[in-house]
Amino acid sequence: MCLGIPGRISEIHDENGVAMGTVDFGGVRRSVCLAYVADQVTPGDYAIIHVGFAIAKVSEDEAKRTYALLEEMSQLDELEWLDEVARANEADRAPAERAR
Amino acid sequence: MKYLSEYRDARIAKALARRVRAAATRRWVMMEVCGGQTHTIVRQGIDELVGDAVEMIHGPGCPVCVTPLEQIDRAVALAARPDVIFTSFGDMLRVPGSECDLQQVRARGGTVRVVYSPLDAVELAQRHPDKQVVFFAVGFETTAPANAMAVWRAHQLGVRNFSMLVSHVTVPPAMLALLAAPDNRVQAFLAAGHVCTVMGWEEYEPIAQKYHVPIVVTGFEPVDILEGMLLAVQQLEKGEGRVENQYVRSVKREGNVAARNLVRQVFRLTDRQWRGIGEIPASGLAIREEYADFDAELRFGLQDIRATEPDTCRAGDVLRGKIKPNECAMFGTVCTPMHPLGAPMVSTEGACAAYYTAGRFRKHAAAEESP
Repeated sequence: MCLGIPGRISEIHDENGVAMGTVDFGGVRRSVCLAYVADQVTPGDYAIIHVGFAIAKVSEDEAKRTYALLEEMSQLDELEWLDEVARANEADRAPAERAR
Repeated sequence: MKYLSEYRDARIAKALARRVRAAATRRWVMMEVCGGQTHTIVRQGIDELVGDAVEMIHGPGCPVCVTPLEQIDRAVALAARPDVIFTSFGDMLRVPGSECDLQQVRARGGTVRVVYSPLDAVELAQRHPDKQVVFFAVGFETTAPANAMAVWRAHQLGVRNFSMLVSHVTVPPAMLALLAAPDNRVQAFLAAGHVCTVMGWEEYEPIAQKYHVPIVVTGFEPVDILEGMLLAVQQLEKGEGRVENQYVRSVKREGNVAARNLVRQVFRLTDRQWRGIGEIPASGLAIREEYADFDAELRFGLQDIRATEPDTCRAGDVLRGKIKPNECAMFGTVCTPMHPLGAPMVSTEGACAAYYTAGRFRKHAAAEESP
């Protein structure tokens, strides 16, 4: 549960005073909270992301190596939740969009 | 080893395992307190690789596994309410409560949603102002900053229909409790890399000093774990007992200060029940009074829901290192990942599930004799 998955920060913005950003996990993009690494990262940097929060900056080499290893050891559970969340959110929004 | 050829660092791993074996003049007993490490150790057969040099005890390192039965029952009670959208990380859904698990509540019509980030739950509350959105906040120190931010954020944005059922636990008090037990066998610890990425290792220094045990902050990859073992064995052989950092690429002594600060702002220490172990003083986090509006236990008056753990599950003996998972009479027969009796069989990071998936079944003759 405490593993965290390395991803690439593609964009950083401010949301009501909290640093947020988009992170790319091997092709899957997701909004992530960057508050805990805000003073260390710029777009293009890599970080370890745990349950939607960056907890530490890592080098690109390290990030890519770790990601490949996690994939090999089938320890990408968090990304599966991410899929499930995306599907549920879509289902949530669909009726509202149909109503429009 | 079965899976060792699968990962690229296999050669380095084998060389490290040889060094561990060469360094040890006797068999040392070590404990990892990290479900990720447990998963790696069992799946990659790292404990078998080091032979007789090290016996690994898989400690209470899986937050899902140590969440007390009573908190699961409270989660189940909340999820069954028609006015509640209950949100949780994916791995809590199949943890058995006294009557049923969250997945069964969902099948019976309760609204249970998996979230990736606790901020998803806050957002969900904003989208459903007519519902109460409750998030099941479990985890170690690694997850606490995320959950603290969700409370802080809900407070900041005035999201009144959001609250949290908190069952957070912290690692150092559990280590202390294990070391203080009269029948303790643990001679060294591998400390969890990402817990220390957040918290640093200052808290471990007095523990290492008091009990004179090596505590090596270790990553979760096979090579990390073998390096951590080697550092611990070297200390043990020299009669040392100090904190050492193997996971330098992620962990600093002070940890992540911004994250620690928000955790301290939102949470306070509390006594907490650990499933299979019992109550450990000051081992949990609870929401501070300033943020009490977001405490689901207070909002829904859940304090009266109490539960007693059944004695058929020997999770406590596994977590304390008294038995290996496959020495439990229920293992692989009555208790399987599809029908788990206790939490360590549910989560992929639980010791029992790790043994089951890696095909480590009962050594029948030997196990029949043990109580």
